Amino acid sequence: MSMDHHHTSLTDQLTFPEDNRIATAFFGAGFVGIALSLIGLFVNTEQFFFSYLTSFTFIASLVLGALFFVMLQHITRSGWSVVLRRIPETMSYQLLWLGVLFIPILFGMQFLYEWTRPELIATDELIQHKQPYLNIPFFVIRNVIYFAVWAFLAYKLYSNSVKMDRQANSDLDRQQRVISAPGILVFAFTVAFASFDWLMSMDSGWFSTMFPVYYFAMSVQTVLAVVVVLVIYLLRKGMLTNTINNAHLHDLGALLFGFTVFYAYIAFSQFLLIYYANFPKEILWFYYRFEGSWIFLAYLFLIGRFVLPFVLLLGKKAKTNHKLLFGVSLWIILLQFLELYWIVMPILHQGSITFHWLDLALLLAFFGISAGLFFRQFSRHSMVPKNDPLLAESLNKH
Amino acid sequence: MSINHKTFGVLAEFANPADLMDAAAEVRDAGFKHFDTYSPFPIHGMDDAMGLKPSKLGWIVLGHGILGLLGGIALQSWAMSIAYPMHISGKPFLNFPAFVPVGFALVILLAAFGTFMGLFFLCKLPRLHQPLFNSERIVKATDDGFFLCIEAADPAFSEKKTVEFLKKIGATEIEIIPE
Repeated sequence: MSMDHHHTSLTDQLTFPEDNRIATAFFGAGFVGIALSLIGLFVNTEQFFFSYLTSFTFIASLVLGALFFVMLQHITRSGWSVVLRRIPETMSYQLLWLGVLFIPILFGMQFLYEWTRPELIATDELIQHKQPYLNIPFFVIRNVIYFAVWAFLAYKLYSNSVKMDRQANSDLDRQQRVISAPGILVFAFTVAFASFDWLMSMDSGWFSTMFPVYYFAMSVQTVLAVVVVLVIYLLRKGMLTNTINNAHLHDLGALLFGFTVFYAYIAFSQFLLIYYANFPKEILWFYYRFEGSWIFLAYLFLIGRFVLPFVLLLGKKAKTNHKLLFGVSLWIILLQFLELYWIVMPILHQGSITFHWLDLALLLAFFGISAGLFFRQFSRHSMVPKNDPLLAESLNKH
Repeated sequence: MSINHKTFGVLAEFANPADLMDAAAEVRDAGFKHFDTYSPFPIHGMDDAMGLKPSKLGWIVLGHGILGLLGGIALQSWAMSIAYPMHISGKPFLNFPAFVPVGFALVILLAAFGTFMGLFFLCKLPRLHQPLFNSERIVKATDDGFFLCIEAADPAFSEKKTVEFLKKIGATEIEIIPE
């Protein structure tokens, strides 16, 4: 047995192999999805916008979760995560054009958001009272602010990190923390209000102060699952095998386990208080989501998104078992999409789960393009922030 | 008054954490089971070097946690539906969502007890006498000393050979500790 106490230099190839065609494959799937979605736009416009919002909030949760992960590593000056930080950094870089993908939603607002319909504004007194906040110009202004803030944070953190690949620079390293500290505060507010605007306002009478935390908790659990999947994919393809080791995966698995508990805690807290108080204006949101076959999805989230990962990831060995981690993570990513589907769709399809092919077409479009863009961007720079001052500490982790 | 000459073990000091870790691996490979290392701070990788198995504490905590969950649910089910059935805002007597907070709290409580008492049990605490303190040098283990002690209880222990072995693998100081 070799006792290597000073494993402090990079020995792997640091660029994504050029003969890897995964980005092309994802782009291909994405374009098929776009073509099908455009057909669907004319076949069933209302369904198109609901499916669009589901897939949009799914992809948004991944890239926003990634931005949070990156900022968290900077403000805590984490050494352990340096070797894998380029993965969430590259994911969050997509926030640059996420705002563009939001534009189509503005054209479907009369389908998605009942508070934009003139006949309801004229008759519904509650909507009239909410008009100062829930009106289209202010909605657009708010969303411009969200996307501008996120694009700024993601661009700055990513480009500083890439600049340091060329030459170590302690000023830039310090700037990462200077940006992240207020950044994480601004992130909390913007994500909270974005979740109000995108999802909660669909049911304009309903309100829950727990809802932003719920969206955030779901997102962070999922983004950790995505990072786990990507790390194991790279290792399986023989990349970074001397850089990322089981100790890094163990910590990712522990975080995934922790945020599984956090997600369940938040989701259940929101449910329990509303269920127990049983006020008509609050309970209706759950009423529609438990009605008919929708209740099966609610049980699926309880069992599949909390109990199962909790039991499977509890042991120490499980967190370094590549096959198990990979499977559980893929499952959590799938459930994240289904849970957003469960949040959005009961408004359109009351009483029972009604599958429409547009749901899959838009998921294919969003996921294909997003994954394709990720791998394209990932192959442009080193897969590891190779001049990070904490790199040696990260490499030496065991 | 008779003097007890029984030996507790052989204490060896090493120059630095890396030497101590290499020595621990040598001691493990030589087949010793009853030995321990002492250092002012935790040394990452020492568990593997010593060949330590994962602690059983996790299983003790898990058992207590499950006991807390079942106990909490059973207590509330009995109290709310058999002993004191009461209508509370039209909810059923067996209202499991409402039982979750108390069940959760009891999981935490019993798991914490399990951790605390399990650790005491596994470390054989409370312990009134530790023969290692017969050495004056061992206090350096809280400052700048890195020690390894092979105990006489080990079947492979023989005072002379063990001392020679420890010298061979790089000990800077060696001391025989009486019981």
